[in-house]
Amino acid sequence: MTFILETRNIGYNYGDGTKALMDVSISLEEGRKIALVGPNGAGKSTLMLMFNGILRPTSGEVLFRGQPLRYDSASLRDIRRKVGMVFQNSDDQLFAPTVYQDVAFGPVNLGFPEDKVKKYAGYALQYVGLSGYERRPPHHLSGGEKKRVSIAGILAMEPEVLILDEPTSNLDPVSSEEIMEMLDELNYGGKTMIISTHDVDLAYRWADEVILMEDGGVLHRGTGQEVFGDAELIKRARLKLPIVVDLYKELVGRGLLNGSKPPRNVLELTDLLESSTRGTTSQEVPGKIYICNMDGSDLGGGIKGILEKSRVSYTGAMGTNAKIMAEQARIPLDFTYGVIDKCILKALTGKNSLIMTSGGMVDHSIKRIRVYCEESGAKIEAVKLSSLAESSVSSDRREISSQKDSTKPAEVAQ
Amino acid sequence: MHDLLDDYAHSNALRDTSPRLKLLLGLGAILLCVASATPIAPLFIAITISLITLILAKIPGRFYSTLLLIPFSFSLLSAVVVAFMHGGGDQLFAFNVFGIDLGIREDGANLALLLIARTFGGMCSLFFIALTTPMIEIFSICKSLGLPDFLVELSMLMYRYIFVFLDQAAMIHNAQVMRLGDAGIKNSLNSFSMLSSVLFLRSWEQGERLIIAMDARCYNGKLDLMEQSGKAEPKAIFAMMGYIAMIAAIAVLTRDIRLL
Repeated sequence: MTFILETRNIGYNYGDGTKALMDVSISLEEGRKIALVGPNGAGKSTLMLMFNGILRPTSGEVLFRGQPLRYDSASLRDIRRKVGMVFQNSDDQLFAPTVYQDVAFGPVNLGFPEDKVKKYAGYALQYVGLSGYERRPPHHLSGGEKKRVSIAGILAMEPEVLILDEPTSNLDPVSSEEIMEMLDELNYGGKTMIISTHDVDLAYRWADEVILMEDGGVLHRGTGQEVFGDAELIKRARLKLPIVVDLYKELVGRGLLNGSKPPRNVLELTDLLESSTRGTTSQEVPGKIYICNMDGSDLGGGIKGILEKSRVSYTGAMGTNAKIMAEQARIPLDFTYGVIDKCILKALTGKNSLIMTSGGMVDHSIKRIRVYCEESGAKIEAVKLSSLAESSVSSDRREISSQKDSTKPAEVAQ
Repeated sequence: MHDLLDDYAHSNALRDTSPRLKLLLGLGAILLCVASATPIAPLFIAITISLITLILAKIPGRFYSTLLLIPFSFSLLSAVVVAFMHGGGDQLFAFNVFGIDLGIREDGANLALLLIARTFGGMCSLFFIALTTPMIEIFSICKSLGLPDFLVELSMLMYRYIFVFLDQAAMIHNAQVMRLGDAGIKNSLNSFSMLSSVLFLRSWEQGERLIIAMDARCYNGKLDLMEQSGKAEPKAIFAMMGYIAMIAAIAVLTRDIRLL
């Protein structure tokens, strides 16, 4: 199979002879979420700068879809369009005097006609939830907003791979969770994501694949559980265990838990604990999770109706658009990140919850809940509510029944 | 946060009025200030433009008055010198210092008044532009007037990074003050020289990072400009033209009036 990005024995020396990278060979599959973790000076940033040809390896080669990178200006333009990079410091990246100019920079330089530039830039800004910020200068934005604009500037070039150097550094916890959720959404849309980070909890929870780097080389790679399961290795790389793994190991040490693999997240850890203390997982009747598609307008009132009628105890919004719409409709949100897991956790305590999201994320949520149920044996019902606006314009039978769903969800669910 | 001219330029009540109109109004007023032969027209301009800035653009009076204090102090100083230096006309005022006669004569006083009035009128007009029109819009006007692209684009990058370096300078200064870098004149001078050299190095590095950032996004020599905002409304055009005509008329009608 061909990998989307591959390095073969690449090495890189800085001008003074310091070896930044030595003999790194990795292959990255398309559509995955990859995290490079390692201490300062491990060579993460240097490696990332090689992926789109900003740095040229002193030895070895980089391949994109099986083709070695060439370093003439036309090939470089091509690779830089396909592999977009978001820098750690937003001020390095945002050089234009307004948000719009910055986001439009890529498309303009790709030679797109004016209306196409406008369309792409507008779409990218909408995607990151900053429509209406076009005329703002970057120095009037908050750290989280700057990061969003940086991402929009890359998205406007429609890359296949997105590389983000320390995307959550200098951001407050909620902003960083929101950025990570946006990256999830983009990945769900088919883009390959590569991030570098020191945040082990984030890498563990988020990434499909973790590449552990140390001293210019790759120490280990695998799933988060494989890499972070090895405490010795983590210590060697000057990192620490993710809190979930740490807690799990201590609980196993006390004989409270037994298991072969550390849990991936709080949800799995809770399940493990419950099954080992009570013998089974939740015996109560689990709550339901309603999933509402926010695409379309005038949903606010409808959702408020649902909230009143169906004894929903918790609400969460997933995705930038859903969050904006929830805010506009003045729906208080309990969860703005890690929404599906949180709702499953609440469902297991017998509480109903509502997830507001949009587009492909609806099916993603349902799939996630179903997979969880299969793995754990829990019986959580996921009820899909179609958008009210959609059902009111269509006279299709299925749509009518889903309209019933949305007006009396509690009944239908029984 | 609101302490830079630029912040007001982006948030004032005249933000969405056509930038060309604002620029024409400001520049027209400045030209008339300079062309006027008596202080009457410039003083009128200073008062009316200030009212426009304060009432129509809703710029806080406190901020505006501190801003005006700067040109006021230096124009007052130079006016005093001018008043003493020019002879001609009746003696208005004189005193004797160590045997030297110092006096103000009519011509000198008139010239000093004119100087203050012109500076004031001109600065008020300039502040009107600076407080109501964001730089970006001035850039796009420059471009549409046929200024070379490289000049406009270079100014845009410079404009953007002024704020990055302003932040950095403030941070370095804080770091110095925190460790008593401002204790005594010698220390202050030393700190200031360090600040300048560090800032220079940082801007050099920033320049290199800027090139990487632009290259990473396929830089090909193009920087897009914002489309211009707010088409001028006919009402606003007439109001602007009316105002310019009025101050021009005042300047012409008062050209022979002498205050002293």
